[in-house]
Amino acid sequence: MTTRLKVFSPLSLLVILVLLLPISVMIVASFQGGDAGFSLDNYRQVFTNHYYSEAIRNSLGIALITSVFSLLIAIVGAWSLTHLAPSTKNMFISLFNMSASFAGVPLAFSLIILFGNAGIWQALTTALHLPRLFEIYSLSGTTLAYTFFEVPLGILFLFPVFEELNPEWREISAVLGASPFFFFKKVILPIIFPNIIEVLILLFANAMGTYETTFALTGNSIVTIPTLIGTLIDGGLTANIPLACTFATLFALVMTALVWLGNRVTRSKREVAA
Amino acid sequence: MHHKASTYWARGIMTALFLYLVTPIVVTMIYSFSTSWVKTILPSGFTLKWYSQLITNADFTSSLLRSLGLGLLTTIIAQICFLPVVFYANVYDARVKSHLRFVTVLPFTIPGIILVTGLIQLYADLPIPKLLILVLAISLLSLPLTYQALDNAFIGQDFRAMFEQALVLGDSPLKAFIKVILPNIRAGILIAMLLTFTSAFGEYVLTNILLGGNFETLKIYMYRLMQSNGQASSVLTTIYFIFLALVSLILIVIMRHYAKHDQSSQKGTHN
Repeated sequence: MTTRLKVFSPLSLLVILVLLLPISVMIVASFQGGDAGFSLDNYRQVFTNHYYSEAIRNSLGIALITSVFSLLIAIVGAWSLTHLAPSTKNMFISLFNMSASFAGVPLAFSLIILFGNAGIWQALTTALHLPRLFEIYSLSGTTLAYTFFEVPLGILFLFPVFEELNPEWREISAVLGASPFFFFKKVILPIIFPNIIEVLILLFANAMGTYETTFALTGNSIVTIPTLIGTLIDGGLTANIPLACTFATLFALVMTALVWLGNRVTRSKREVAA
Repeated sequence: MHHKASTYWARGIMTALFLYLVTPIVVTMIYSFSTSWVKTILPSGFTLKWYSQLITNADFTSSLLRSLGLGLLTTIIAQICFLPVVFYANVYDARVKSHLRFVTVLPFTIPGIILVTGLIQLYADLPIPKLLILVLAISLLSLPLTYQALDNAFIGQDFRAMFEQALVLGDSPLKAFIKVILPNIRAGILIAMLLTFTSAFGEYVLTNILLGGNFETLKIYMYRLMQSNGQASSVLTTIYFIFLALVSLILIVIMRHYAKHDQSSQKGTHN
């Protein structure tokens, strides 16, 4: 019992100090009104204020589009990765890891150099008299920016699943007279489908929680839930920490439920398959 | 025949992905060596001026030192918190692992911006150094990386038998751990430390909001430069990318080295 205590105490202390306590205090604060009594006023504001609903709409829109789009590219990418020689494969895995770490301020800056008002894309499209197609500081630009870390992340999540698929299965099913479509529908899809759903949820959650890239790229001109929380915390005159707590509480609640659901889908499907 | 066609497709797709991910980085690198590159297709000339300017800047050195310090402290705390638990879970009680699974999804359910809201609400007015809270919070968010890398280190060997033999021979648990377990999981610990260090070194959200910009780390300095001096910022971004590339290279070297080592020791036992 004492060894157990010794083994678990550092981690428990850490989790209590910087996770359980702050999150509990945050939840309590989200119900605080102006007079420090219990109130649902903050929650009412979240759903009625136009500026706040714009943040929610932007976040959901960007996250939904980038996660679905990145997932599709990641599926093709993970499939391609399994077809490469081992050394090339490792090189690409390192590249994807690096790209995922490059997210945030460095990514935003690189994209401004490339697509910004004084950037190369601007020079190129002007010289060739082409339309610019999109503005990097806008909603569509932010959506594009997210794919630079969502795609590599998706491939890193999906690759192990694809690597486990046995190439002999295809031959066996062909010998038994199954068409490639039947094979895909009855063998491959049931195995990878739950994982794809789980990865989609993780990519969606990751996009919803992205603060650094959005803030560095657009300042506060594109408002999302994370940048709104940032402004509510350190926005000087407009600071409203209890309201930030309300947004954060709703975010944590919805994302935890979603990730938990994704986990359940994968597990129950796996049990059925087994 | 079919195999050939799919290989070509795979190569084409990977080349396209490579170009798409690498272009912004390469363009930033070229920008950092350019005398000027505004609204033209090619830069007007090349220079190392921006590099010498940034590296001799005192703000750069102090922000680098702050980030290094943050990275080192976080790496140590993450190891202290997780090494004993992962060891215990793998050697004595696998059920602990199912409880630890919440850790791996933490960055998705409670990302930095959400965690920092709670931290501000709780600690803003308490007389506890914010820097301490920051280091602990970054350690918490780096736990998935630490956990996964350490957990992988315990695959494939019977650590329980080794550990218990050492105990029977009269070693104390701590001494047995250092003597027989630690040498066998060195690679995993190194990888875990490197990954934790990298994530702490590049932390932005918690540092910026919790300390309100008073503690200028490399990323916060990068953001300030981005607003004021594009050339200097491109140099810093390039240096940051080279740092990430170096870390990946070291990771590859460690994995290769130990993979070879494992193979030869496995051959030894089979013969």
